[in-house]
Amino acid sequence: MIDLLLSGPEALTPYLVVSAALFACGVLACATRRNAVGYLMGIELMLNAAALDFVAYGRFRTPLEAGQGQVFALFVVVLAAAEAAVALALVYSVYRTFHDIDLEKTTTLGARR
Amino acid sequence: MTTTLLAIPAIPLAVFLILFLLRPRKGGDWLAILGMAVSFLLSLRVAVPVLSQGQILSTPSLPWLAFPKGLDVPAFALSLGIRLDPMGTVMLLIVTGLSLAVLVYSTWYLHGDRCYTRFFGHFSFFAFAMMGIVLSDNLLMTFIFWELVGVGSYLLIGYWSDKPAVADDSFYQGMKAKYATGILESKLSPAHAQLKAFVMNRVGDFGFLAGLSIFAWVSLAGGIQGNPLSWEHLRLAVASGAFDHVAFAGLSGTGLLTLAGIFVFLGAMGKSAQFPLHTWLPDAMQGPTTASAIIHAATMVAAGVFLTARMLPFLTPDALLFVSWIGAITAFLAATIALVQWDFKAVLAYSTISQLGYMMIGLGAGAETGGYSAGLSHLFTHALFKCLLFLGAASVIHGCGNHQDMNRFGGLWKKMPWTAATTGLATLAICGLPFFSSFWSKDALIASALLAAQGRSGHMAAWLAWGPWAFSVLTAALTCFYMTRQWSLTFLGTARDPEVTAHAHDPWPRAKVVLFVLALFTFQFVWTGSLNPFGASSWLDGALAPLFPVDGVSEALRHHAHLQTMELSVLMAFFGIGLSLFLYRKGPMTKSVKPLWSLFANLWFIDRLWDLLWVEGFGKRGGRLVATADLGSSERLTRLETRPPLSPSIDGVVDGIARLAGVLGGLLGRLQNGRSVAYVGYATLILGLLALFLVI
Repeated sequence: MIDLLLSGPEALTPYLVVSAALFACGVLACATRRNAVGYLMGIELMLNAAALDFVAYGRFRTPLEAGQGQVFALFVVVLAAAEAAVALALVYSVYRTFHDIDLEKTTTLGARR
Repeated sequence: MTTTLLAIPAIPLAVFLILFLLRPRKGGDWLAILGMAVSFLLSLRVAVPVLSQGQILSTPSLPWLAFPKGLDVPAFALSLGIRLDPMGTVMLLIVTGLSLAVLVYSTWYLHGDRCYTRFFGHFSFFAFAMMGIVLSDNLLMTFIFWELVGVGSYLLIGYWSDKPAVADDSFYQGMKAKYATGILESKLSPAHAQLKAFVMNRVGDFGFLAGLSIFAWVSLAGGIQGNPLSWEHLRLAVASGAFDHVAFAGLSGTGLLTLAGIFVFLGAMGKSAQFPLHTWLPDAMQGPTTASAIIHAATMVAAGVFLTARMLPFLTPDALLFVSWIGAITAFLAATIALVQWDFKAVLAYSTISQLGYMMIGLGAGAETGGYSAGLSHLFTHALFKCLLFLGAASVIHGCGNHQDMNRFGGLWKKMPWTAATTGLATLAICGLPFFSSFWSKDALIASALLAAQGRSGHMAAWLAWGPWAFSVLTAALTCFYMTRQWSLTFLGTARDPEVTAHAHDPWPRAKVVLFVLALFTFQFVWTGSLNPFGASSWLDGALAPLFPVDGVSEALRHHAHLQTMELSVLMAFFGIGLSLFLYRKGPMTKSVKPLWSLFANLWFIDRLWDLLWVEGFGKRGGRLVATADLGSSERLTRLETRPPLSPSIDGVVDGIARLAGVLGGLLGRLQNGRSVAYVGYATLILGLLALFLVI
């Protein structure tokens, strides 16, 4: 089983399945979460699904020593961290404006006067 | 000499600019008179070498627009320059001299008027524009100044542009004759008249521009270098047979030259008020009478005759026949209308149209019969006596408290002897009695028409060849009739309406001097330089000789024609004068030949026809049609709506598109509701669709 997962071109499929499942979870989280922080988590899930794809393709579809996929995954992780910082700042700003972070209630660009 | 030539038109222009921009309260009148006097003196100075030695003065052409070589046209340049030949010199003297006279006269006639100074400014501009036509050395420059003359006339005719239409003018309604018909009273006002003059001239100018274009095109195709429209180059192009090598609309050679000539003549028909474009001139009397004096004498209407004379070497026999016939119809038509006018000035207006028709008959007779010199000499003599007649009319109308109905005048001889005597001399002059100026110029005209008819009769139907001559003889009698009627109704007999004529008086001394000086020019010897009325030669002969010498008809034939004409025209004159004096011996006639009278009094219904056809029909109906197509209904022209109802029209379609965009925007706008959940849904949906698309 381990052998199967680590070698041969068809070994890619299980990773993609996991990645797709992870992405779907992210979309689902974004679609259902009313809390902005929950929404952010959904986005993080989708990013990680993409990163998983990069690593999988890097392992099975390119020469191993090139390591391009892995480098991309590292980038994704770094960018995700930066994005999380910005997004949390945004959430904080939204909270200051609306006194709420419920996305159903914050449908405008500014507080209604 | 170049500076002098340039200064002649530049001074009135400078006067205009000073009066127009600085608007001085006082002294504008004398500034204009001073400027015109200097122009007149400078004209006299340049006239000496030109008239005595037949020298042609010119300035170097000023390059204006240079065109590079095109696909099928060689490189050419349009230039502006002055060229003064003997004929132009006489015209220049008349323009500056008469302008000076009328300006001096206007200081009396318009004294105390609300916009007194403005008249002098606009008048200077008008004179400047006319000088431009006289001095121009090419056809395009003539056209430019031709349009400026149109602007000048527009300004002068509309001098009292805030005056109401005569239908709303209670003074006019009380003043007019009971049977006043013919003019479109509901519309006539200075503002309407100035527009009418301008628009009717545009009709002719369209032809002028078309003819000018043909000449330019042919002259370029003929390999002319430089300005293709200068007089010299035009002559070269025509002489070298450039017209034979091109074809336009199936015409070539003589046919094309005829077409181009007639097109240019259309412009002259507009400016010189020739049938059927004559209706603006009588209406133009809505301006001050002194403005009419210059329009009818030296500037506006003279421009058309002057242009036709300039273009005469390029007119083919067919075009000349056309010119003759237009002139003949105009002369006769206007003379019959003048027979029955009640308005003192209207008689003069129609008489001008009629006399302009005469000049066209003369020019149409061609250079070889002497028609060219006869037409021009009549232009010159007419300018002087018609100016005098109009200034006399100004005096009469001023004296009678702006009344213009001749039926109410009478017996003014005693109250205004100066006006009566000078106007009487002018009347004799226009009648063409021996010793008076028109006897020299008009008889030469009729004689040349006779010679032309004799020459033509071999080539065409008799009526076609003889018509212009017959009309010219008939009109001679009519002219004498209506002019005598006007003068005798006004100055002879007893005062028929003492209320109107009680305060009549001669004008100020300076205006009397003007009348006196102009009256001198009604005599023939001033023009011919000899007391013998039958002498055919004149000191002006040099100025009247055709630009390019032609083989004239034989001296014997010409002498014979002159003798015949002289007898006939003197007979006609005495017949007309006698009949008029007899019929009007007891004041206005009470009986008339009804159908004829109403035809003449209604101006042959031409004004009404034009109004019906163009103003009511084409203008109003067409306007309504266009408005309906554009806006959906013509009522919407008059009010402004923010949200008009949709209609099947151009405006409706444009509005519909705008509204459709609005509706679509509203619908799409609902998608963008600000809920991030919805956005995730859209994104997922589109991603799903994309995936589906890729899989399939």
